[in-house]
Amino acid sequence: MAHLELQAVSKQFKTGKVLDGVSLEAERGEIICIFGPSGSGKTLLLRLIAGVEQPDEGVILLGGHDVTDNAPETRGVGMAFQNFALFPHMSAFDNVASALTARRTPPDVIRAKVEKVAALLKISHVLQHAPQELSNGQKQRTGLARALVADPKFLLLDDPLRNVDAKLRYEMRLELPALLKASGSTVLYVTQDYKEAMALGDRIAVLLDGVFAQIANPAEVYRQPATLSVARLFGEPTINLIPIEPLASPDALKIGVGGAWLSFPPSYAHAVGKSCVLGLRPESIVVETVNSRESFAVDVVAVTPLNEKTLLLLRTADGREILASEAGTDEAPRRRGPAYARFDPSAVLLFDAASGRRVPPQSA
Amino acid sequence: MSAVSDPALSLNSIDKIYRRRGKPLVHAVKALEMSVNKGEIVALLGSSGCGKTSTLRMIAGFENVTRGDIVLAGRRIDQMPPARRGVAMAFEGYSLYPPLTVRDNIAFALKSARMASKDVEKSVAEVSRLVEIDGILDRYPSSISGGQQQRASLARALVRRADLYLLDEPMGQLEPQLRAVLRGRLKNLLVERGMTSIFVTHDQTEANALADRIAVMEEGVLQQFSTQKELRDKPANLFVATFVGEPPMNVFEATVVNGERVRFAIKNGPTLDYPASEIPQNVRAAIGRRENAVIGARPHAIRLGAGANEARIVSNQWLGDQSHIAMDFAGKLLVAVTHSPIAARAGESVHFGVSAADLHVFDAATTSAVSHGLEAARSPLSPK
Repeated sequence: MAHLELQAVSKQFKTGKVLDGVSLEAERGEIICIFGPSGSGKTLLLRLIAGVEQPDEGVILLGGHDVTDNAPETRGVGMAFQNFALFPHMSAFDNVASALTARRTPPDVIRAKVEKVAALLKISHVLQHAPQELSNGQKQRTGLARALVADPKFLLLDDPLRNVDAKLRYEMRLELPALLKASGSTVLYVTQDYKEAMALGDRIAVLLDGVFAQIANPAEVYRQPATLSVARLFGEPTINLIPIEPLASPDALKIGVGGAWLSFPPSYAHAVGKSCVLGLRPESIVVETVNSRESFAVDVVAVTPLNEKTLLLLRTADGREILASEAGTDEAPRRRGPAYARFDPSAVLLFDAASGRRVPPQSA
Repeated sequence: MSAVSDPALSLNSIDKIYRRRGKPLVHAVKALEMSVNKGEIVALLGSSGCGKTSTLRMIAGFENVTRGDIVLAGRRIDQMPPARRGVAMAFEGYSLYPPLTVRDNIAFALKSARMASKDVEKSVAEVSRLVEIDGILDRYPSSISGGQQQRASLARALVRRADLYLLDEPMGQLEPQLRAVLRGRLKNLLVERGMTSIFVTHDQTEANALADRIAVMEEGVLQQFSTQKELRDKPANLFVATFVGEPPMNVFEATVVNGERVRFAIKNGPTLDYPASEIPQNVRAAIGRRENAVIGARPHAIRLGAGANEARIVSNQWLGDQSHIAMDFAGKLLVAVTHSPIAARAGESVHFGVSAADLHVFDAATTSAVSHGLEAARSPLSPK
């Protein structure tokens, strides 16, 4: 049985429907990243689970119990926010301890628990400081410590790394999974950063236009995105999208890319004659100086190094711009100018042009 | 003066000191010495307050230089008004003219230069397609978004003929889906037309993508001015080593024992140990015996699965095209990056090695680089 479950939850405001029948099941101890652009309803979803907002329709189950109508403080839910929300008149220690004092915990137990979580989050040395004396990173970790210290069964984290600098955000991204797993809580983690979602989530729930476009583990979201929109949100640089219409030819399927006719796997026979969009990740395109049967002519317009990779902006014979990326930066500087590109047909993605849904290959 | 190649732009011993009543002096730029070649694309990279924007504004003429002089295309320009400097610019505080449409804003300088109207039209169309504002040319600045205004301002600068182009965070506000393509187009334009340009950014991805050379600044001081490859392979000091690179270099304090074997005893950790024969004599001499050294290795240079060292895995995160593996080593996080996923779970321990060719050594007191792999470090700002 799922530890946390949403059943067809909807919420509407005067400005329109924000959540339109979302369902989700999280196992005990699982970390689920709620990922989507701003305004997609991610924070609202957390507020509904915490009980500070009421859904119009649908059911929220925590630990197998319907809590839809229960008061927030009875739900066993801990929260941390992107704007820290610390009490300004209390020290960092008291802020963290505030999650426990309300429950009449003995002082020595409180002290021991606060110090333990503070050590994990590397804020032991600033526990006596007031919030205004803390750096943003320390404030963020204090907020997180407050959420973690009470060993909540459910932990809701609303983009907690949003307001910390890039370096600390990166370090926290590396360390958070272990911390969260150690807490044993079932975690919903809201983020707008696809790398953070991939790094932290056991699964990612992609929230788009009020519904989950896909709920799957990071590898599946990246390699088998449910829709074009999901594919565009994961990966840097963004996936290349090329309109195609697969054709049947005597020996194989053919697709027209960049003014050339290339072979396409027979497992896509069901897509023949349909308006489709080919999705090509930049890293699955190979750019060479020699022509081959399965390559198409391109003009290398720009070569831009990108963090241990090299990015090539290509222009095809039919005027389309495509990005290719190669691992490494050490080869002799590639010349701009004419070249040939090919791709691994097993790594391509195909989408239905009208619905945007992925067209999976069919096994023979 | 008979230089082999005349630089397009020279900044000679530039200082910028802000004096504001009732406030302490701010020494924003210190003894800056830089020259930019004709057709070169240069990035000024640093965090906020490092002096990069002050530098750009002094070249543009929006700020006076406190000391030093600026020479552009053979003319000393630091006393000239901005409009006479032969510089095209796109940056904050140099906004679009509100009463003109986007099209007329972009065309303004061309029309003033009496370019034939057919050519003006062609130039405007070309540059506005490049930055994807061709759909809003007839709108007024107040009715377009901040990001579109920024691109219109960029287009207005790029369309001009000038000795130098100054750009402030040129792709700053773009949505990620557009950024990589537009960067490629911009680079193509700058290269194709040989446009000498300097742009300011805090984003090293942008600096790497566009620039031929990158000037890393911190606390008003130019830390290193070189190619991306050199910044990565031969960082001049600890600041550059840990600022440049995503993720940055792993660094550990260590004591060096230099004998038949070269040993780096890591503080609170094990010892990395290399036969002296693996390290050239001049590098060993440069390293010497040091009580207080800092050693470093880039995440991509950490070889996992083999080697004398062992560390416990904290996390193993696959991001689609690369994996980041964080390990607990000598009481700190050690990060390795691989281009393909590896099978290793948090809590397990892994062996790893760093080859002598990938090990950087810094002096802990001065923070300057001592050696990079198998080469001794040389002074970063001296000519080649």
